[in-house]
Amino acid sequence: MRRRKSILILLLFLLFIVEGTILPWLIPTAWQTRIVPHLVYIAIIFFSVYENRHTGLVLGLCFGLLHDVVYYGALIGAYSFAMGLCCYLLGLLPRSRQTPLPLMMILVLIGSLLLDSTIFGTYSLFGLVHEPYTWALMNHIIPNVFVQFLFALIIYVPLRRQLEIITKRRSPEEKN
Amino acid sequence: MLKLFKLLGNKRLFVLLIGLILFIAVMGFTLGSRTNLSWPEKFVKDTVGFVQNVFYKPAGYIAGFFEDISNLHALQEENEQLKIALAHYTRDKAHYNWIEQENVWLKDELNFTLEQKEMYNYTWKIAQVISVNDDPLNRTVVVNIGAREGVKEGQAVHSAEGLVGVVSHVSNFTSTVKLLTAMDALDPNSNGIAVTAEGKANEVFGVIESYDKASGTFLMSRIEDPKALAVHDTIVSSGIGGVFPRGMIIGEVTDIQVGEYGLTYTATIKPAASFTDWKELFIVFTPEAEKE
Repeated sequence: MRRRKSILILLLFLLFIVEGTILPWLIPTAWQTRIVPHLVYIAIIFFSVYENRHTGLVLGLCFGLLHDVVYYGALIGAYSFAMGLCCYLLGLLPRSRQTPLPLMMILVLIGSLLLDSTIFGTYSLFGLVHEPYTWALMNHIIPNVFVQFLFALIIYVPLRRQLEIITKRRSPEEKN
Repeated sequence: MLKLFKLLGNKRLFVLLIGLILFIAVMGFTLGSRTNLSWPEKFVKDTVGFVQNVFYKPAGYIAGFFEDISNLHALQEENEQLKIALAHYTRDKAHYNWIEQENVWLKDELNFTLEQKEMYNYTWKIAQVISVNDDPLNRTVVVNIGAREGVKEGQAVHSAEGLVGVVSHVSNFTSTVKLLTAMDALDPNSNGIAVTAEGKANEVFGVIESYDKASGTFLMSRIEDPKALAVHDTIVSSGIGGVFPRGMIIGEVTDIQVGEYGLTYTATIKPAASFTDWKELFIVFTPEAEKE
């Protein structure tokens, strides 16, 4: 079980690498500045919903920080904060571990909107963006939602199965 | 009041507030211009950079292959244009060599110091892009040369077409390039670039301070006299101030209008660099930076 989990986390890291290297080549040139899917974030939402929201929080903080440090443009901490917070909140919402597909997809939609809005909010708080929120919404937040929704559909079956194997072996009282 | 204390007694809320304060502190601390990265940051950047290096280039080759196939029909036209450009180049080269020799001779005659002679002798080092962050609010690109090769913060980064950005942070083997699209006149940490029009260096002066995210153009402001400037002029950095190298191609004028307060003029500049499909970039080393 430990091993399975560390392999999953290693795969998350691989996803992070793919996000920065291979993904830009797959997106059409006209959309390159407008579609910036956060694939790792979507996978971490699955962790916080199906496994444990605290795992989601820690993973969100770590991978957010990684993103911040590697692509250090203006400040460190925007992604780390947004990803940690959003993953925790989304893990808080569902009542049981057995979240069905439609509910999970709604969570992904809410999560995508929440993450991009939090990041936009942070940047405008520090005066790095002066465009209105409606611009950001039309420019990249809505296109992102669609791509991330598709990605969540693709990884839903395999990732949920793996996460259920991990949680099943754990004793029942530890589940919450 | 009792309710408030009860609320504060909630451990989760307490942790959340502490976290919020901590993050705002970290963001505020890292926001200003930092001269050096700490070693954990360098370590993480280098390790991730090494892995990214393995992925980015093959992906680029495969994508480039498909792009080449789709561009096959445009090949003949491109070939024709290149032939014309080559003819221009050979003609200009003879002229250029003559002027350069004369220039060297004149500098000798006028007793220029060595430093003055070498001032505009830039070295262009090639760098491979290893990953891209297209986040529209904070676009950055990571390249595969760093402090070991002598890269420093603030150096200009140029693509084959034009200026793309400035080195923002350097670790030992990689460096992060902050793109010009993040330029902002209201941000105290973003410096403007003094520019002029190509071939009209003595008549045109302006400053590029901001990038309009909605229309994808630069705004060249503080133009005192717009008479010399014309639409379709190529805008290059002028090197006034001595920090930023001169002759970096920025873009083409598409529109000239009266500025905000009616005292100066502003021009809209269409960027020369495409800011997409990153492969090779050049980092421009100024002679002063090399000596240190």
